Amino acid sequence: MDAGVSFQTGKAQKGEIRMDIRANREQEDYPPCKLACPIQTDVREYVQLIAERRFKEALISIRRQNPLPRTCGRICTHPCETVCKRGQIDNPIAIAALKRFAADSSWKDQYKEVVSVKPTGHKVAIIGSGPAGLSAAHDLALFGHHVTIFESLPALGGMLRVGVPEYRLPKAVLDEEIQTITDLGIETKPGIRIGEDVKISDLFEQGYEAVFVAVGAHEDRKLGIAGEEDLEGVVSAVALLRAVNQGQKPKVGKKVAVIGGGNTAIDSARSLVRMGAETVHVVYRRSMEEMPAAREEIEEAIREGVQMTYLTSPVEIRGENKKVSSLRCVKNELGEPDASGRRSPQPVPGSEFSLDVDMVVAAIGQVLDSSFPAHDLELAKKGKAIHIADPGTLSTSRSGVFAGGDAVTGPATAIKAIAAGKQAAVSINAYLKGESIPVVRSNESVPPEKLSSTVVEKTRKFPRCETISVPVADRVKSFDEVESVLSENLAIGEALRCLHCYLGATIDKEKCISCLNCVQTCPVGAPATTKMGEITIDRFTCQACGVCVLECPVQAIDIELQPRGYVMSQVREALSDSHNPMVIGFFDYYGNFGPGDIRNLKENYPSVAPVMVYGLRRIDTSDIFKSFELGADGVILAGCPVESDPFPDARQSVERRVENAKVMLDALGLDGRRLLFVEMPKQGLVDKQQVEELMEIVSDLGPNPMK
Amino acid sequence: MIILTRKGLDEIEEMIKGCGSLLVLGCETCSAMCFTGGQRQVEELASLIRMKKTMSGDEGEVVEDAIARQCEIEFIEPIADKIKGCNAVLSLACGAGVQTLAKVFPDTRIFPALNTKFIGRAVERGVWAEVCMACGDCILGRTAGICPVTRCAKGLLNGPCGGASGGKCEVSKDRPCAWQEIYHAMKRLNMLHYLKEKPQVKDWPIHPDKVVREDLMTVEST
Repeated sequence: MDAGVSFQTGKAQKGEIRMDIRANREQEDYPPCKLACPIQTDVREYVQLIAERRFKEALISIRRQNPLPRTCGRICTHPCETVCKRGQIDNPIAIAALKRFAADSSWKDQYKEVVSVKPTGHKVAIIGSGPAGLSAAHDLALFGHHVTIFESLPALGGMLRVGVPEYRLPKAVLDEEIQTITDLGIETKPGIRIGEDVKISDLFEQGYEAVFVAVGAHEDRKLGIAGEEDLEGVVSAVALLRAVNQGQKPKVGKKVAVIGGGNTAIDSARSLVRMGAETVHVVYRRSMEEMPAAREEIEEAIREGVQMTYLTSPVEIRGENKKVSSLRCVKNELGEPDASGRRSPQPVPGSEFSLDVDMVVAAIGQVLDSSFPAHDLELAKKGKAIHIADPGTLSTSRSGVFAGGDAVTGPATAIKAIAAGKQAAVSINAYLKGESIPVVRSNESVPPEKLSSTVVEKTRKFPRCETISVPVADRVKSFDEVESVLSENLAIGEALRCLHCYLGATIDKEKCISCLNCVQTCPVGAPATTKMGEITIDRFTCQACGVCVLECPVQAIDIELQPRGYVMSQVREALSDSHNPMVIGFFDYYGNFGPGDIRNLKENYPSVAPVMVYGLRRIDTSDIFKSFELGADGVILAGCPVESDPFPDARQSVERRVENAKVMLDALGLDGRRLLFVEMPKQGLVDKQQVEELMEIVSDLGPNPMK
Repeated sequence: MIILTRKGLDEIEEMIKGCGSLLVLGCETCSAMCFTGGQRQVEELASLIRMKKTMSGDEGEVVEDAIARQCEIEFIEPIADKIKGCNAVLSLACGAGVQTLAKVFPDTRIFPALNTKFIGRAVERGVWAEVCMACGDCILGRTAGICPVTRCAKGLLNGPCGGASGGKCEVSKDRPCAWQEIYHAMKRLNMLHYLKEKPQVKDWPIHPDKVVREDLMTVEST
């Protein structure tokens, strides 16, 4: 299942959007981040592209899987980070922040994309324009189908628009993302409510051949306690957030209790702080450990003054003059795990207490809108969700109708809704073509392998980048976005923390002579020997440093991250651009260089052709010799400063290799001074003086006689 | 294993000067483990030779290959055509490899790129030590696993000579006295009485030597 659609961007850069979601789940070489992502975003790939300053390509990589990159860069719960191998060493890569960086920084250059898709003539209706509906529309449009989105609210976006507050996801950003999707030729019909304005059966009469129902879950569950129905000041979180997000100014109490522990509860609490509530309590029945809300959201809420009242359940809302006056609560203790696997709260007898509040917000989970026209489709969960005949295809009780997202699962994450939308697109496409609908396996993420304590110890720690956010005193005054996008330097530094899971070394057993050099030199201890002397390299442990590739005398080891042969192919390419004199500069990606330095290098030293490598460890003596053989007048090896070198122990061998090469060049009569080994300065790629000295030597020595 | 080092570039150049097309051939057992004869070293040396040839105007193509062991005909045969297609071979093997090539390809010039140093082992990364002289009459059982033939500067069988001081040989201060080491090891192993037995006499083999195992022979060998 790998339906590919090509597209061209405005600047005629070729890319590809693939809808191969959740295919090859069992593929063992998938890095944990990709495996954990419900839409299998190739995280490792785009993180690497960012590290290499290929930002546009990073966005293309993200967009290949994800039609809402700027949204996900801000609000995704990033299951990828939870499983990131770096997390076992120090802290996971800030993947979501990197996604936002790539998407925000390249957005303007990147899209307008020019899509040439052959129309199929099929018509598809999508009900609901949240992340599920939008993603389905996007992928179906790329399949060539004519798509119409029906939305009951005046503007598209679903919960992204009316649920997520502005300070997390600015409407302007959402508008641009939706615009990019609808620009694919998607028809939109806002303000039309299914059931009231049009029935699902009507849609088929109107010529739609398939329908995707992604209406979300927009109705709050009732608290089910006394005082909920009849007192003024009891509000549903969905209604509150919707009003705020639509620019209204709902009446807010001075002292508010928000009941629930999910993201909706936290969104409500942080919004209330911004709307002038003096004290906001989040009342949650379990402890912080079990809280379903994203950890960083909880932390930010606490920073903004929200008070967390854990292990507490509401018992009764009390009122005076028909208005809320207090919330009667009971303390809980945690008992045995329930069906969800979390420990169930048990009330502690005699622990009742009152919270002095004038407003209560119910945020204990959302369900399918009770006004949803049940006669059209079979429902599940006592009418609180749409019944799915087959979760593997998202087909419903009615032929041609598919459903997904919160309307089916109950309140879940945006990325899961996007996954459902993409799955629906694949199902509907097959359905329309009369093909059998591919069954997609469940996307339960597999816990990542555990690194040994030795590996953890031997891996160099690099602190996770700090994102910059607006100071609390300022942010609580408005709904302006709290977090700012990473700077280019921070993003690159963060991307370089990636440990390159499964891009490491592999051994050709036919060639291996069991000399043990890889075993003796690996900085993290990835190779191991069997009793019979066979050597294996643990693919998860390996961090693709490249040391063993050069230590192997018989070239039995190759590596996926910049394989053997990569360096020379780059050298050949660099030398094809002829300058006089011509100097090959091997530069380490881990060097701390500022923005635009490669460009500056080309301007200041047109004679230096840069070849970028992940560590000078990858440059073999023969690469140096061959560069001269191919006509280079000089060679610079510029290593990163020791502070940023992930494998500092391997530095000595690089130095010795260069020293040996100099001796050999002298013996050859080519003069070892043509070879320069330097450490990159704190700013810039090279030290001006050093390069100029080399240039002088090169011009004194005259051109390389190989030319 | 056999420990090898590479000859100087000048010496190699002198040998191969004017030879025409040249195959630089690696040997991926002992020589690869000494970082002298693996594919990597082949690439490196071939590159240097090509540059040298360009600089001196010496004509002839330089090609590269490596086989598992140059001392075995079975490993050589698959590249026989490649060898015959060249005017000369620069062998990155020990003397056994070079001589095997010379025997199998009597019409091709075979040059050694390496010096075969000794039978030894890697004692640390980048350091190999001689441990056996292949004397043909092993006495390690009587010397606590330390070979006096190889490791005593004078090769004394019934040492020590008396010239050691502070545990170091009088020949070189870097060199431990093998007999002192043997004495301490024998003492540790309760074997000192061996040293009091009648002096050892060695049966030195006549070179060139040959080992014949009739039980392993198939047809009449030479």
